[in-house]
Amino acid sequence: MAKQFMKGNDAIIVGALAAGCRAYYGYPITPASEIAHAAALHFPALGGVFIQAESEVSAINMVYGTAGMGIRTMTASSSPGFSLKQEGLSYAAGAELPCVVVNIVRGGPGLGNIAPEQGDYFQITKGGGHGNYRLIALAPNGAQEMCDLTRKAFDLADKYRNPACIMADGITGQMMEVVDIPVPEPIPFDHSSWAADGTAATRKNLVSSIVLEPEELEEHNLKLDAKYREIVENEVLYEEYRTDDADLVVVAYGVVSRIVYSTVDQARAEGLKVGLLRPITLWPYPEKALSALAERVPAFLAVELSTGQMVEDLRLAVNGKAPVHFYGRCGGMVPGGEELLTEYRKILEGGRS
Amino acid sequence: MAVNLKKLTQNEDLLAGGHRACAGCTGSNILRQIMLTAGPDTVVGGATGCMEVVTTIFPYTAWKTSFIHSAFENSAATVSGVEAAFRSLKKHGDLPVEREKMNFIAFGGDGGTYDIGLQSLSGAMERGHNMLYVCYDNEAYMNTGIQRSSATPLGAHTSTAPAGSVKQGKEQHRKDLTKIMVAHNIPYVAQTTPFHWKDLATKVEKALSCDGPAFLNILMPCTVGWHFDTAIGIELSKEAVECNFWPLFEVENGIYKINQKPKDPSPVADWMQKQGRFKHLFKPGNEHILEASQKWVDEEWQKLLKLEASGAE
Repeated sequence: MAKQFMKGNDAIIVGALAAGCRAYYGYPITPASEIAHAAALHFPALGGVFIQAESEVSAINMVYGTAGMGIRTMTASSSPGFSLKQEGLSYAAGAELPCVVVNIVRGGPGLGNIAPEQGDYFQITKGGGHGNYRLIALAPNGAQEMCDLTRKAFDLADKYRNPACIMADGITGQMMEVVDIPVPEPIPFDHSSWAADGTAATRKNLVSSIVLEPEELEEHNLKLDAKYREIVENEVLYEEYRTDDADLVVVAYGVVSRIVYSTVDQARAEGLKVGLLRPITLWPYPEKALSALAERVPAFLAVELSTGQMVEDLRLAVNGKAPVHFYGRCGGMVPGGEELLTEYRKILEGGRS
Repeated sequence: MAVNLKKLTQNEDLLAGGHRACAGCTGSNILRQIMLTAGPDTVVGGATGCMEVVTTIFPYTAWKTSFIHSAFENSAATVSGVEAAFRSLKKHGDLPVEREKMNFIAFGGDGGTYDIGLQSLSGAMERGHNMLYVCYDNEAYMNTGIQRSSATPLGAHTSTAPAGSVKQGKEQHRKDLTKIMVAHNIPYVAQTTPFHWKDLATKVEKALSCDGPAFLNILMPCTVGWHFDTAIGIELSKEAVECNFWPLFEVENGIYKINQKPKDPSPVADWMQKQGRFKHLFKPGNEHILEASQKWVDEEWQKLLKLEASGAE
């Protein structure tokens, strides 16, 4: 594999190309624009499509159109732009169209700022748009994962005929790291049973999310729900670090997990038994793993770049078996190592409940 | 309705210094000139964009008038809400301070106007809100890293329509937004630049005094996105008119009037050569793009002359 030093945002396009994606639709927004710039450079040169839409709504609906033809496609944006895409995502989930949407989350609400935050967790993992649907949500914590998880997102989207979302932040998007460039091995997938690609074979297929009869719409929703349960059963990804004998398990994802890795080692050097569980899929959430840990771990701490969003899923997973603490920074503020160590000490020395 | 420079300069400058516009930005000139004419009884709405960002980084504001920020696509809708509320309060005698008239000005860049905000702009104009919409048009999304917009001219290099070995910048001509606004049959539509201060001030005065919506499209040379020396922005706005790339004209109740007719228009390529965004067009093999640009400018100018002539009959 070739190695290259690149920005996380560029690595997303490397992963998309390795997945065989050749259709990108985007709209300018900081701090996600590099993804569109990279797509504009590489997609047309490979015989693919790059279109800058006139709005986020158009970009997601171009994705909807291409996905409806059974072709791998993606778009990327940042929080305010991602908000505008919610209607399109709900329609894509309803019509069961596979696609990949990247959200390089920035500070909100409103225009907020362009600094890193994780305040879109609820929007991404709980719906965002209207109706009973879910996005498969992956949270990379470095440039290599920006590439690899984007590639994986295409496979998951196709496997379940559902939109998949990459949730990252301004730091992960902008920081440069060495990336192993994957050799493209697109997994062939058969879309002939549902896509409308203009051929005689697919003429009977209908791409739509309108189901007027209540009985039929309920059936459609139950079918989607069964699919979501299957995803929960099969696709959870997480990583554990030094949790075996931990007295405190910190749960953090994305860029925050990078800080927690180092502070776990620092805490251990002080004699504090701290471990980390890092959700890689945010939905489905590593509920079983956390529930199992809660049988023996005396305390948990969620660290997020928000005022407390993922901590709610952690509390549901732990289900009262151990205290769940929360430490969050927001608005673009990122916790420093000493700041987190102080929290660990407080919890483990019983200074806080 | 004659604009008097002496009087204008005595008016209060309503955009305070200390804002964060780039060195050589022509946008702050545009805002100041508009506000000198509009005066303090003005509510300003600004869509997300460079001029909004540089003048209103919370908790600071460079505006000495009321300023309301909205999402990228909503400046015209937001100001519609402000203006409708004002009219309602006035009608019911509920205004906190009795006022005969207020000015309502909505600002948007070309991305927020030609592209994502076109729907809300069109709605506001059609409903007939008493507002002036100003598009400060620097011909690309400069605030997010110089992406192409539908205002970007043919051949310009942008980060999403790059010039390289395969393509030579943007492959389409710019959209004629000013004429789209004329098609709304609103009382006043005009184009101008920050070099033509008297033309600009006159047009703002006309726009604010007409009964109903008005639209101004103002060319705003951008040192960052167009790649030129910070000293020549105003000069480039003058030359854009002299080569007929950006004609000064106004449409008052449907009647076209060209405000400046260059006797001997300079070649568009002379204007383009001063801008880094067109640099690649001067390499051998790209002459046809320069020719296409000139042809387009000539054809658009002829169309404009005809439109003016048809109104004069």
